[in-house]
Amino acid sequence: MHKLFEFIRSVYVAVLFIVLEIAAVSYYARSTYYTQARLLTRSNQAIGGVHSLFAGVRRYFSLGHENRLLAEHCARLEEQLAQYQEAATSERLESYLQEIGESKYRFATACVVANTVNRAQNLITLNRGRNDNVIPEMGVLSPDGAMVGYVVDCSDRYAVAMSVLNTSFRASGRLAGSEYYGSIYWDGRDQSVVILGDVSKYADPQPGEEVVTTGFSQYFPADVLIGWVESAELNETRTAYTVRVRLAAELSRLSEVILVANRDLYEIRDLQQSDQIEQHTRLE
Amino acid sequence: MYRTLPYTGLFAVTVLLQVFLFDNLSVSIYLNPLVYIAFLALLPLDTKPVALLGAGLLLGVVMDYAMGAAGINTIATLLIAFLRPALVNLLFGQENAKEGGIPSANRMGQRTFIRYLLLLTLIHHTAFFLLEALSWSRLPLTVLRIAASTLLTAAFLWLIARIFNSKLPSRL
Repeated sequence: MHKLFEFIRSVYVAVLFIVLEIAAVSYYARSTYYTQARLLTRSNQAIGGVHSLFAGVRRYFSLGHENRLLAEHCARLEEQLAQYQEAATSERLESYLQEIGESKYRFATACVVANTVNRAQNLITLNRGRNDNVIPEMGVLSPDGAMVGYVVDCSDRYAVAMSVLNTSFRASGRLAGSEYYGSIYWDGRDQSVVILGDVSKYADPQPGEEVVTTGFSQYFPADVLIGWVESAELNETRTAYTVRVRLAAELSRLSEVILVANRDLYEIRDLQQSDQIEQHTRLE
Repeated sequence: MYRTLPYTGLFAVTVLLQVFLFDNLSVSIYLNPLVYIAFLALLPLDTKPVALLGAGLLLGVVMDYAMGAAGINTIATLLIAFLRPALVNLLFGQENAKEGGIPSANRMGQRTFIRYLLLLTLIHHTAFFLLEALSWSRLPLTVLRIAASTLLTAAFLWLIARIFNSKLPSRL
């Protein structure tokens, strides 16, 4: 009996270690990027305020840069507005004839309160939440309109978005000026480069060519700038190009973002999942 | 428990530094210092293994919560909490370790102390970054991240150890 106690005394630390380690590993193994976003959302309720404070201080240092981007964006919009006004006068008669519904997309702005770029799974915390009509699956764009990520989870006052620099991120991208498209993902190597994979071998991407979003994605409107082709190579079987794309958005100095929601997202999804559609896609 | 207050302070300061400063550094993808392990590294040499394990668990859970990482911090901190006594005995000798004291350059000797910090950090970072990458395909990249971050973290630990020890008079 005495020996048994001695034995237990000598190994209980190791046993405790193994038990705790197994618990931690199994929790980690069952986690997904979604659990991690959930966890971050919850902890933001406690420390989000402090993050906001630090982000507020940090924002002052990028005000100049931010301002230049906004001014450029403004100038572009002014130019477009002028064009539209011209077009509007000529089309006014027709516009009376048909009722124009509200735009398909809804926009909002938010400040970044926490952001990482040096992990494999990078998430961005934003200071807008359900109270500000931010919902999961909204697209996130940089102030000059380049793709940044999409919202994964929201609390009442904060939202967590998956950054394009997250190995779980997926979107579709297209070479501007042609109809060749592929899937956008990050390989975890370089914080300013993402991969556009599975582009048709006939595409022949040239360095400097723009890469934009397709309209297929539920998160982003069509033709949102992603970046510029840096280099492209054929895969081993010579059937498809893997293109390295230099990101247009500078994720490491992001401090303000534009949120975009597809008003019809849930309507389209409900429609896609309706019983009628399912009957036609069932294997027969 | 003696020295409870300085250690509570150390815990709070390293966790806050990690969450609000080092996690926001974003210098390079290869430099991701995890300096919060300073708390585990600087616990007294004669701390009981169970207490070390408890401290590792607490630190890991707090960091997981704050960083939104589902368990990798806990896995890595538990590992170094468990291996620390063996590491100290190996580098410093069982008899010397029993006499207690805070791990420092004065107490252990400059070379032993630096080796101790490097090894402890290396174990932690290896577990952390391998679990984060979760694939062997990018192994060279991961190894580079481990190496660069280990060096940076160890340097910060050395600095924190000096500050922490200077605050405590030698009568302890």
